[in-house]
Amino acid sequence: MLAGAVAWLTLPAVSVAPNRIVQGTPQRAAEALGWGVTLLASVPMLAVAVLAWRPTPRRLPAALALVIAVLVAIPLWLSAVAVSLEPSSRLGIGSAIWCVLFVSLLALIELRVRLALSRPFGWAVLVPVALAWWGCLAQWLAPLALYREYQGRSDQFYAAFLQHLVLVGAAVGAAILLGAGLALAMRRRAGLRRVGFGILNFLQTIPSIALFGLLLAPLAWLSARFEWLAALGVSGIGWAPAWLALLGYSLLPMVRNIFVALDEVDPAVIESARGMGMSRRQVFLQVRLPLALPVVLEGVRITTVQAIGLTAVAALIGAGGFGTFVFQGLGQAAMDLVLLGALPIIALALIADALLSALTDYLRQGGTT
Amino acid sequence: MIELFGVTKHFGEEVAVDGISLRVAKGELCVLVGTSGCGKSTTLRMINRLIEHTAGEIHLDGQPVRTFDEVTLRRRIGYVIQNTGLFPHWTVARNIGLVPRLLKWPRQRVRERVEELMALLGLPMAEFADKYPRQLSGGQAQRVGVARALAADPEILLMDEPFGALDPITREALQLELLDLQARLHKTIVFVTHDMDEALRLADRLVVMRQGRIVQQGAPVELLHAPADEFVASLLGGDTRGLKEAALTRVRDRMLPLGPRLLAHERVAVDAPLSQALSLMLWHRVDRLTVVDDEDIPIGELSLRRLVGSKT
Amino acid sequence: MSRRAVVGRGLRLRWWLGEWGPLAWLGLLLVLCLGMGELEGPFRWIEPDSREVLYARSSFLALLGQHVLVVGLASLAAVMIGVGGAIAVTRPFGRDFLPLVSQLASIGQTFPPVAVLALAVPVLGFGTLPIIVALLLYGLLPIVRNTLAGIQGIDPGVHEAARGMGMTRRQILLQVELPLAAPVILAGVRTSVTVNVATAAIGATVGASNLGDPIISGIVNGNTAYVLQGAMLIGLLAITVDSAFERVQRRLVQRV
Repeated sequence: MLAGAVAWLTLPAVSVAPNRIVQGTPQRAAEALGWGVTLLASVPMLAVAVLAWRPTPRRLPAALALVIAVLVAIPLWLSAVAVSLEPSSRLGIGSAIWCVLFVSLLALIELRVRLALSRPFGWAVLVPVALAWWGCLAQWLAPLALYREYQGRSDQFYAAFLQHLVLVGAAVGAAILLGAGLALAMRRRAGLRRVGFGILNFLQTIPSIALFGLLLAPLAWLSARFEWLAALGVSGIGWAPAWLALLGYSLLPMVRNIFVALDEVDPAVIESARGMGMSRRQVFLQVRLPLALPVVLEGVRITTVQAIGLTAVAALIGAGGFGTFVFQGLGQAAMDLVLLGALPIIALALIADALLSALTDYLRQGGTT
Repeated sequence: MIELFGVTKHFGEEVAVDGISLRVAKGELCVLVGTSGCGKSTTLRMINRLIEHTAGEIHLDGQPVRTFDEVTLRRRIGYVIQNTGLFPHWTVARNIGLVPRLLKWPRQRVRERVEELMALLGLPMAEFADKYPRQLSGGQAQRVGVARALAADPEILLMDEPFGALDPITREALQLELLDLQARLHKTIVFVTHDMDEALRLADRLVVMRQGRIVQQGAPVELLHAPADEFVASLLGGDTRGLKEAALTRVRDRMLPLGPRLLAHERVAVDAPLSQALSLMLWHRVDRLTVVDDEDIPIGELSLRRLVGSKT
Repeated sequence: MSRRAVVGRGLRLRWWLGEWGPLAWLGLLLVLCLGMGELEGPFRWIEPDSREVLYARSSFLALLGQHVLVVGLASLAAVMIGVGGAIAVTRPFGRDFLPLVSQLASIGQTFPPVAVLALAVPVLGFGTLPIIVALLLYGLLPIVRNTLAGIQGIDPGVHEAARGMGMTRRQILLQVELPLAAPVILAGVRTSVTVNVATAAIGATVGASNLGDPIISGIVNGNTAYVLQGAMLIGLLAITVDSAFERVQRRLVQRV
């Protein structure tokens, strides 16, 4: 255990060397900040590495504090560079910063596991980091290219955010209702089960971009034929094919988890519930469903995370959402625009994942094991 | 011959085995018995170095096990565990032939050895050779486990609760088979169990362990007669110890030759344990039994007084 | 016809599909690739207004080849690194990294593949190479996770017995752990490759030329026929690959 933490925690020390900040022409940290500051900045990283050399229960919290300090320091370094620049220039984030960020996050994950921090505490630890970024952005980091892109498009950004959420929400919501219905029907009929899973598995295999494409023609045809569909906004591109495809992809994990959840409730529990004289309906509502709920939620989690990613692809067929920025950025070779789309997508996926797993854990603790 | 001198094992702060000394003679079946967590399994696993001992010495035929290469050492020692550990992706025949193949025996010799062992353990080749472990019953799987351990004809056999997961009838059948095998093969066996009846039935030497130490060791009858303390006594069954002893003694040891009296109506086999004779007396409400041999020919008689061993 | 005969025929059909399905899909894929020109009529009907209804910037076969090459290279590297890495962290010398690697594999899977691809571009630039690298990185996760699950899922008794019988570490790995974990590992590789086939298509937006090309250019030019051609071929490719994996997987499970 000792050696492991060491080897990878020494990485930050190594990655200090190529520390450079890309700004049109790449600059090393030393060039941008001066040697003094650069060396100073690498002190906490080295300290973490030293602490990790022999992790004792007392040293781990200290290492945690240092890692947080590094994370808080990153926006400060950037600010230090930013204030010295011309107001019109743009500041990009260079690979060294990404490296430091990545390694620090790794360290954070590892320390969280080692210290067995509870979930709320784990999040609380990130509060100072968020505050530092926010404060620096507001005060000094105006030249940061990513922030510039955001300022230029803040209205679009919120629109995209809403579109993304609505599309994911609508698809997952429909998948829960339809999935529950399908799963219940499949429990009744074995034939339906085979065919149903066969079709859903098949659907899941087809790449999203292909499915969006394949839906394009029939939907365009339908909207051309039926006035009322066109009036609803259904057409070959836009939300309709995106929503349909998302629903198709969401159904498999949804149905599978609901089915498995209901099916895997301990038969002894069901047996004893019936033995106590509960009616079929009571057994289902009071015993089977509550016991199955955590696994069902697990399905909702997988589905939501998957849908957040797929919605990004749906931007290609004009469904909106953060994917728009990504593909616009890729088209214009504007990397900061790509980041403006990609980072929120990742953040959204991580937050959805964290929230839903927290909810699952909570349900497991509360009464069901 | 296996010898342990002051063997100790620490897991971090915790002391699992605390200065054990033990000598298992060649051809002896030594049973380690005790409550769970008493260190008996750890002791066993230190012999084939699945666990390294912290202090003390373990000798095999006078040579410290530390001087052997651990892989070579293990190939010389048969090893049987509770849930068989058969490789689920290999057939029965391939499982049994594992160690000979590891030892690079020629293919023909491996095949012959597998055949021989399957016959020895009552597993017909035609029926079982190509089956996979999950197609076997618990008893059959454990027979394969024993066959695999015996495959390279090791002098020493280590058995870690091998029959613990079996139903009582299968367990008893396999215990008797093991005794039968032992009578023919004379291996040096160290056997771990928490089942005292199993221990009493199988052991040449019984070793009672508690909290990493040996509390008492000796022949089963010695322990029954003179348990070292309350713990051993209660482990041996408290006030029902008498019945356990009766189960270890044969009718042959207590019977008298046929006398001038009329034969008693109820009969008992000469090789049956005394507990069975006692049960028959209780059941039929009699105090005398006729002792018969294998062919049901009367050869003696057993009275209640003789059974309980009273002097008069 | 008796009921039994019907059932028998159904079973035979399923067996046939399982055995020859992958080849049938592959055949269909190749036929469509080569004979797309024959379908000009239907495409013309779908897209009557466009001047061109057949994607002609590159041959479909070449696009298919590119696609397979990119996914193949990325997946091959991902399998080697992923399985190798997972094996390394389950050995005694690498066990310190185990919690970190398994955490990373599970957190990484919540990253949408598009976002990973998009992030790879600023770091690595446009073209085919960054796509291979992005696919490789993303494809690692399911392989690592499944290899870990496969090895850790082995009955501890089996492992104990293997050691107790005097197998060397190498023998245990090659003769016991890998064969027993193989079905789970293969399932991970299947997920990885399937996702990569899909993600590679999106790679067309960052300058790789593959089967995603007709779709992207169809969307950009509003030519539904292009989109359909690309979508059909990618769909078929994904199904071919997936059914091939399914067949291998079934073989593997049958054996145990």
